[in-house]
Amino acid sequence: MRRRLIGLIVVLALAWGGLGALTAAGITPRLGLDLQGGTAVVLTAPPDTDQELLEVAVEVMRNRIEDIGGVQEPEIAISGSNTVVVQLPGVEDERRALDAIGQTGQLSFRPVLGETSGEAGPLTGDDAPAGVDPVTGLTIDDDLTTESYLLYERTSPLTGAVVPTVLHLGPAQLRGGDVASAVPGFNTLNGQWSVSLGLTGDGADIFADLTGEAARYGLGDPRRQIAIVLDGEVLAAPEVNVDVAPGTGITGGQASITMGTSPESEQEAKDLGVVLRYGSLPVSFERSSVSKVSASLGTDSLRVGLYAGAAGLLLVSVLLLVFYRSLGLVALVGLTVFGSFLIAIFSALGALESFGLTLTLAGVTGIIVAVGITADSYIVYFERVKDEIRAGADVETAVTDGFKGAFRTILTADTVSLLGASLLYLLAVGAVRGFALALGIATLLDLFIARTYTRRAVWLLGRTRLGDGGMFSITGAAQAGSST
Amino acid sequence: MSVWRELSRGETTIDFVGRRRQWFMISAFLIAVSLLSLGVRQLNFGLEFEGGVAVQSPNPAGAEIEDYRDAVSELGLDDARIQIVDDGAAVLVQTGPLSAELEEELIEAITDLAGVDRAATSLDAVGPTFGSLVARQALIALGAFLAFAVLFIAWRLQWKMGLVGIVALVHDMVITIGVYSLVQFPVTPATVVALLTILGYSLYDTVVVFDRVEEYTEEMSEDHTYTEIVNRSMNKVLIRSLLTSLTSLVPVGSLLFVGSILLGAASLQDFALALFVGMAAGTYSSIMIAGPLLAAWREREPEWAEHREELTRIRDLRGARAASPAASAPPVAPKRVQTTEERPSTGAAGPPPRPPKKGRR
Repeated sequence: MRRRLIGLIVVLALAWGGLGALTAAGITPRLGLDLQGGTAVVLTAPPDTDQELLEVAVEVMRNRIEDIGGVQEPEIAISGSNTVVVQLPGVEDERRALDAIGQTGQLSFRPVLGETSGEAGPLTGDDAPAGVDPVTGLTIDDDLTTESYLLYERTSPLTGAVVPTVLHLGPAQLRGGDVASAVPGFNTLNGQWSVSLGLTGDGADIFADLTGEAARYGLGDPRRQIAIVLDGEVLAAPEVNVDVAPGTGITGGQASITMGTSPESEQEAKDLGVVLRYGSLPVSFERSSVSKVSASLGTDSLRVGLYAGAAGLLLVSVLLLVFYRSLGLVALVGLTVFGSFLIAIFSALGALESFGLTLTLAGVTGIIVAVGITADSYIVYFERVKDEIRAGADVETAVTDGFKGAFRTILTADTVSLLGASLLYLLAVGAVRGFALALGIATLLDLFIARTYTRRAVWLLGRTRLGDGGMFSITGAAQAGSST
Repeated sequence: MSVWRELSRGETTIDFVGRRRQWFMISAFLIAVSLLSLGVRQLNFGLEFEGGVAVQSPNPAGAEIEDYRDAVSELGLDDARIQIVDDGAAVLVQTGPLSAELEEELIEAITDLAGVDRAATSLDAVGPTFGSLVARQALIALGAFLAFAVLFIAWRLQWKMGLVGIVALVHDMVITIGVYSLVQFPVTPATVVALLTILGYSLYDTVVVFDRVEEYTEEMSEDHTYTEIVNRSMNKVLIRSLLTSLTSLVPVGSLLFVGSILLGAASLQDFALALFVGMAAGTYSSIMIAGPLLAAWREREPEWAEHREELTRIRDLRGARAASPAASAPPVAPKRVQTTEERPSTGAAGPPPRPPKKGRR
């Protein structure tokens, strides 16, 4: 008796206390785009695209999105074998975001003609040539065939601090297509991270000219640098090494770009390697679907879901109360336990970085469906209890034996639901997955509650005055119909 | 009141199996109508499957449909569908697939007329191949699910039950899709979700019914034919099926009701329609189709057929004896050891042959 009572209290405390604690800590379910507003894009790569390339592409997109700024928690994930789903909560002007993730980008190697420290270019105001912003002195639309002034956020090799510099660049000499290979590596002799660059035949000759020209200038002269530019952004501007002969340059199509010894250098070397190899996006995607939901439409949908869910729970509770009397009371409390657990689970899994579970409209639908399944579990069980009592069993035997039979049925039927939910989650794309996930979680929860809550609660109820005697009791419900 | 009482106590004695021709005819008719409609009217695939662009924008300036039509026609999009939705508060424009530039111009034209900021609009742009991808993945998932479900039911209950469960499921799906075709509601991803829900319910319901059949097979097979066992099971779970359908439809109904009051959302309406039809078909088929079909099939198994003949012989004998003047004849194989109807005997010492029973657990 005491053991079951304690067990019951623990489950109730877990459900209500857990939800209360999470809410107090400000952790609520993470809402999907369709419920809070935002933009979702589905990109499709050609069939049989290498999985590794997809991962690189996702990485590149993530960096680009972070560059635009203003997007809270962008989510970019590979879905299925060749689609990428990009979710941008709160993004209502989708144009910039779409540009950022879609385009393939242009990589170039350019000679440095001069540099100015600070964030403003040397030529501002009336001095600014065509195409240069008179305020910032920076080139507005970078053109690879002409000179340009671009901002370079150089990391000081000594202090590690970021020093803004404006580079005056000549026309591009080499393009991304001239790069044959780029492998990040670690030199154990000097402890430096570096990227080994391999060039194609033509590229090797141009590269020799480019570096030979730069080597004419003394060490420390800005013109001794070669700028690596991606879509108007200077990624790196390494200086040509001291041992390179002026005029001859780096021959043989092999070069090494040294990144430094700091811990960040490893990531920098890898990132640069990726960009050098793939230009920017290693895969050309087709934009399969763009869906933008305005914040107000999202809020409306959320309200509908919440009201419908609450109304559904209430009506189901009333039905169960009418049919099962005091047992219905157990079901009513059970449904709130179910709801509390569900919200708590979605909150917790949404807050965890590795899960990032979001609640979508399809998910809400899955939950509403699961309310039906949970209600059915009670019905299956309560019908058994009534059967047993009509068969002459006393209340305690009825609730104990009834549970055994009912749980077997519930387990079998729930397994089928769970099977469907898992397969849908694994194989389907889009909204269907959100539905499957919510249904799966809710089904597992149903089994858990049947074992830990319902069994104990009904057993305890059977020991009280609500077990035997009176219209409202368990026996009362079992005899319903016979008295009228 | 007495019908209700019998129902709530599971004491109805409807001969589900015996009247199976009647049920099968009804279903055959419904399926024929569905297939016919699918063949003639086909399905109205929504934007998400055909590919296209949909822009929804609030309409505070109160511009008329004609204004929008003119603006959209200027872009050369004559076949665009323009609707004023949400009680005149919003406008919805749908077109076929557009180039990025044209899509831009369309959004601009709409926001200009409506007098709203771009951020207030909602946009759906779907490539022409995306729908087939979604549909293909859903079909793969469906196929895998069916295969696993048959295996699971075969392992947990009985393999014929697995196959019959699938028949019932296909029955429900065909009827639901048929209704979609008849009413010409657009098929959207929400519809796919609804169909999958129905699939889950249908199988879930059938499993609950079959679980009872399997349990009664263990308890009652000594002195009952398979048909009798199935009939008893059906009558027993009838109240549960009805209640469950009710409690399942109530949340869905509230979704429809709340949704249409708050949003006037058409998408929720067709979703709820699919669920309603599907669940109704699911409840019907698990009792009227799955049960009788299973009974008819298994009665053909030699063991059960033999068992049935044996029982008929014994019952005839018993009937003859009861009718004979020698009323004092000793009772043969008391039909029930317990006084109640619900607890059929498992330990009756009568002579009937044991039917084939799978040694479970």
